[in-house]
Parts: sequence; structure tokens; C-alpha cells
Amino acid sequence: MFKTAFQLAYKSLFRRATRTSMVVLMIALSLSGLLLLQGLYDGMVTHMINTTLRSDCGEISLYAKNYRLEQDLKYHIDDIPQLQKSLDQIKEIDTYAIRLSQQGLIATAHKSFQATLKGISLEQEKTFGQLDRFLFQGVFDFGKKDENALIGEILAKNLKVGLGSRLVFSAQDANGEINAISFRIGGILKTGNPLIDEETVLIPMKKMSNFLSLPDSATQIALRVYDPSSVKPLQKILQNRLKDLEVYRWDELYPLLIQMRQMMDLFNLISYIIVFIVAALGIFGVILVSILERMREFSVMLAIGASHTQIRLQVILEAFIMALFGYTLGSLLGWFFLIYTASIGIDLGYFEAGLQSFGLGSVLFADIHGYYFLEAFGAVVTASLLSSLWPLYLLKKIDPIRIIQGKML
Amino acid sequence: MTLTHISKTFFPNSPKEVKALKDINITIKKGEFATLSGESGSGKTTLLNIIGGLERPSSGKIILDGLDLTTLSDEAMSDFRLRHIGFVFQAYNLISVLNVRENIGFIMRLLHYRDKEIDARIKELAQMLQIENILDKFPNQLSGGQQQRVAAARAVASRPKLILADEPTANLDSKNAQRLMEMLRTLNEKEHITVLFASHDKYVLEQSKRIIVLSDGAVIEDR
Repeated sequence: MFKTAFQLAYKSLFRRATRTSMVVLMIALSLSGLLLLQGLYDGMVTHMINTTLRSDCGEISLYAKNYRLEQDLKYHIDDIPQLQKSLDQIKEIDTYAIRLSQQGLIATAHKSFQATLKGISLEQEKTFGQLDRFLFQGVFDFGKKDENALIGEILAKNLKVGLGSRLVFSAQDANGEINAISFRIGGILKTGNPLIDEETVLIPMKKMSNFLSLPDSATQIALRVYDPSSVKPLQKILQNRLKDLEVYRWDELYPLLIQMRQMMDLFNLISYIIVFIVAALGIFGVILVSILERMREFSVMLAIGASHTQIRLQVILEAFIMALFGYTLGSLLGWFFLIYTASIGIDLGYFEAGLQSFGLGSVLFADIHGYYFLEAFGAVVTASLLSSLWPLYLLKKIDPIRIIQGKML
Repeated sequence: MTLTHISKTFFPNSPKEVKALKDINITIKKGEFATLSGESGSGKTTLLNIIGGLERPSSGKIILDGLDLTTLSDEAMSDFRLRHIGFVFQAYNLISVLNVRENIGFIMRLLHYRDKEIDARIKELAQMLQIENILDKFPNQLSGGQQQRVAAARAVASRPKLILADEPTANLDSKNAQRLMEMLRTLNEKEHITVLFASHDKYVLEQSKRIIVLSDGAVIEDR
């Protein structure tokens, strides 16, 4: 029964080629658009997460107890060389960056803003998050005598300063004394992470230690891991080994990113529903018209001995075959769009300011995951099967004799 | 096949009520070449449809090989039609998306015949009906006479016990009508297939070995 129904469905579709092509094309275009949107939504979130991980917290960050709550230098991590030895022994850790931060006031002769001064190691940051790739202007270097600093692009804009400008940063040191430090801007960073771009100035670790009177100390140690799935177990290991420290995962430090991902998932779902309805209505319309036009044909088939089941199967197969062709073409198109946007990206320079406020660059890159295509397959097949329900109900009511004799339809 | 007390009333107990058949009692023997005749509205097509299981009688029984066809479910009746009855309609009713070859083999495919058997049977019937040169054409590329010959080939392809032909010559010219009747007669004689027409065509009546005349839904003559 299946073989005959399949042959009939196949022939019926191919001998009504124009109509079939229209439906297949409609499914394919909707689907490819959907895949592209899904890839872009995911790509935007992935970009934000990657930027944050690379420029700040890694997958896991260590802080002295109470530091995150109080932001007070008395809660700092000390004996860094000993801690480094411990971290080096943990095989899940790929690399780490040690930072010493203090909030204070950054000023030029004309303007001042609240900012965070961070002592870092350029070499560590290169390995940790390829921070050098975020360089927007100048050089990724503190100068021969460590006299230069790197500054976030928006902060530089707000201060109306450029390369070579002199800045003064004043803050409280570890002894509670007000202290000040001056430097010239050697490089400007544009990371996409608002915390860095809007309020951070980076100077050499040694200079920062002297400024705050905190040798061999840090306020944050950020870790990168080899395997993202090892983050939770590693957090537990570190919590057990480093009892004096607080151990946070990136999603605990940046819950907004998780909310952003959930929001994008919601957008994806809404897009899916829209495409699902469009595809279902398209297939429904075509199948309905096709069945109404072919009532006589089906009646003849019933009259000469085909069963209702046989004809129902044929109609379902017609819907399924159209869905399958639409899916195949749509997947290929979608894959092409995704590959293009994943490698070259979509330049939305016109919206740069808006995108930057979300921590995004002006060029959006798409993500590609195999499950996009599985989900799309499920959606298209379900849409095609659901859309054939009403036409099938109409078929059930066929009275072959009345139709053959022209008394109905 | 024995029909006893067959009646058919359309729209019963309503102002539009029509008594199409009234207490029909006839027996059709295996291998007969018979015609239900009568004027338009006499009930011959309704009776043919009831015999073929396309319509249910309001009362009465149809017994074939000891089986009462009126007791069969729709699906069982459908299966019975598939296996035992071939139809030739006035309007040919070929399946438009299938070519001639596929139309002839359609019922055999539903009956799960092997491809070789189907091909052999199509070849045999195509020769008999002189339609070898149109096997790959579609119904809309054929003349009326060609379509009716294909419809006849489809009806007999699976060697049913009974062929029911409703006004098969109505849309044909005399030459094609003659050719169709000759073919059905040959099948009747060679393959012992029972053929029952519903027709008032003179030529069909001349060719028939038995004529059952209906008038106002009742049999008035059986010769």
C-alpha cells in the first residue's frame, strides 16, 4: 500500500510541478531565513559571552572573601606565587590572568570620571583572552619604562583624550591613604565589554602593586578552561581547595548574559512559530486546493477499489514529500547563509552605537549548530502533517458516486 | 449473483423522496453478457451502483458466492470491489496524473501484483485493444475512444469476476463503440468474465445475450 501511495504522491506532485515548486520554494525561503536568524541571535549572544570571558572573567574567577561585596582592598588575594603553583597543578585550567584593581577618579586638566584602574600582565592577557586583538588605536604595550596605559575606547571618548594624552588617577591605597598616579595613553581598547570600554584603564601589574602598596597580591584571578563542560566540577574543586577564596562562574558574575541568551531563545521560538504558521498555511492551502480539484480523481480511485486509508496515505505523503524537498532546499540555502555570516559577517555599521550599548560589534557573526537543522526538520514535518488534517477530514466525507455523477462539487 | 427484494429510496421520509428501485429480484450467472436497459431515470445506473457496492440498497440482499454484500463494512466493500469488480464509466474516469500504462496497472498495483506480472498483463491488453502506441501518453492526450479502451483495460486487468459498465458507449462514435463492445465480448468469452451493462444504446442491446428492462425502478422485462 505504501509503495503505491508513494508512487502516486510522487507522480501527482511532479506532474503539478508549478504548484509544487511554489510550495517547496516558500518552505525553503522561510526556513533559510529562520536558520539565518537563529544563527545570528545565537551568534550575538556567543559574541557577548566570548567578549566578556576574554576581556574580564574567564569561565571562572577567584576573589578574596567579601571583595565583590565590599570592593575594599583589605579583601585581597595574597601570596600569589604560592597560589600560582596550586593553579598550575590543576589540569582542567588552560590559562589564567592575575589582576589588581581599584576604583577611583581618572582626570585630565578639564574632565574627570569614575574609573577602574587595573594592574595586569600583558603577556598573561594575550594568552588569556587575546586582549591585544581588541586594540583599537596605538600599541599593545606599556612602553619601555612602563610609563603608558591602555584605556577603554568610550572612556577615552568621554575624557576627550587620545594617544599620548596624560591622565591622573587618584584612589585610596591599601593603607587607606589617598594616592595618585599619572601615565600617558599608549593604546585604546575596544572590546565590546562595557565594563572595560567605559570605565577601565590598564597599567602594568608591578606599577599597580607599588601604587596600592600591595606586593604579590591580586583582587581577581580569572581562569580559562580547556573544556567548557568542566566549569561546574572545577568550581567545586577550587572551592574545596581554596577555602579562603570565593569562586564564581561567569554566569554567576554576569547573570545578564544568561538572561540575554534566554531572551534570544525566546526570539528564536517566536521566529519558529511564525515560520511554522506560514509554512503550515502554505502547505494547507495547496493541499486543500489540490484535494478539492481532485475530488473526482479520488472518487474514481475509491470507486475502483482504493481504500480511504490508501488515499489518506497518499495525501499525507504528498505533504511530507513537499516538506522534505522544502526542508532540503531551505537547509542548503540556510547553511550557505550561515556559513557566509559566520565567516564574513553582516556589517551593521549604521547601528554601531546601538549595538555597542549591548556589548556588540558593528559586524554580526552567526553561530552554526547541527541542532538548528534537526529542529527545523521537526518543525517543517510537523507543519506539513498538521496542515493536511483538514483536507483529510474533507476526504473522509467523499461520496464517490455523487461526485462521479457530478452531483457534488 | 442473486439480488432479492432490492429497493432504493433517496431522501426517505422527506418531500424530495424518490423511490429509485422497487423490489428487484434478479440472478446474474457467471459468464453472462447482459444489459440493464430502460429510459433515463428508470433506475438502471442506481441498480448497477448497488451491484458494484458503490451504493447501499434501502432493503434487500445481494448474495455472491454465499456472501451477502449488503452486510459488508465500507472498507470490506472497498476491498471486495478491488478484488472482484471492474468498472467502466461513461466519462472514462482515468486518473489524470498517471499515464496509460500506469492507469491500466493501477488496480494490479493495489493488489500487490509483481511488476513483471503487471507489465505482461499491460502488454497483453494493449495488444488486444490496439493501444500499444499510446502507453506512455496521459489521459488528456487521448481521444474519447482511446480513453474508453484504456478504462476497459484497467477494469479487466486484474481479471475480476464481474465488469460493470455504465453507458460505456455514450460518448463514443459508432466505430469506437463497436471496437469496445468487441473487446468486452472477447474478454467475456476468453476469460469468462461476467459483463453487465447499464445502457439504452441500441448497439449494446444488440450485442447483449440477456436484456433486463427497467421502468420506474421495477423490472418489467427479462429476456
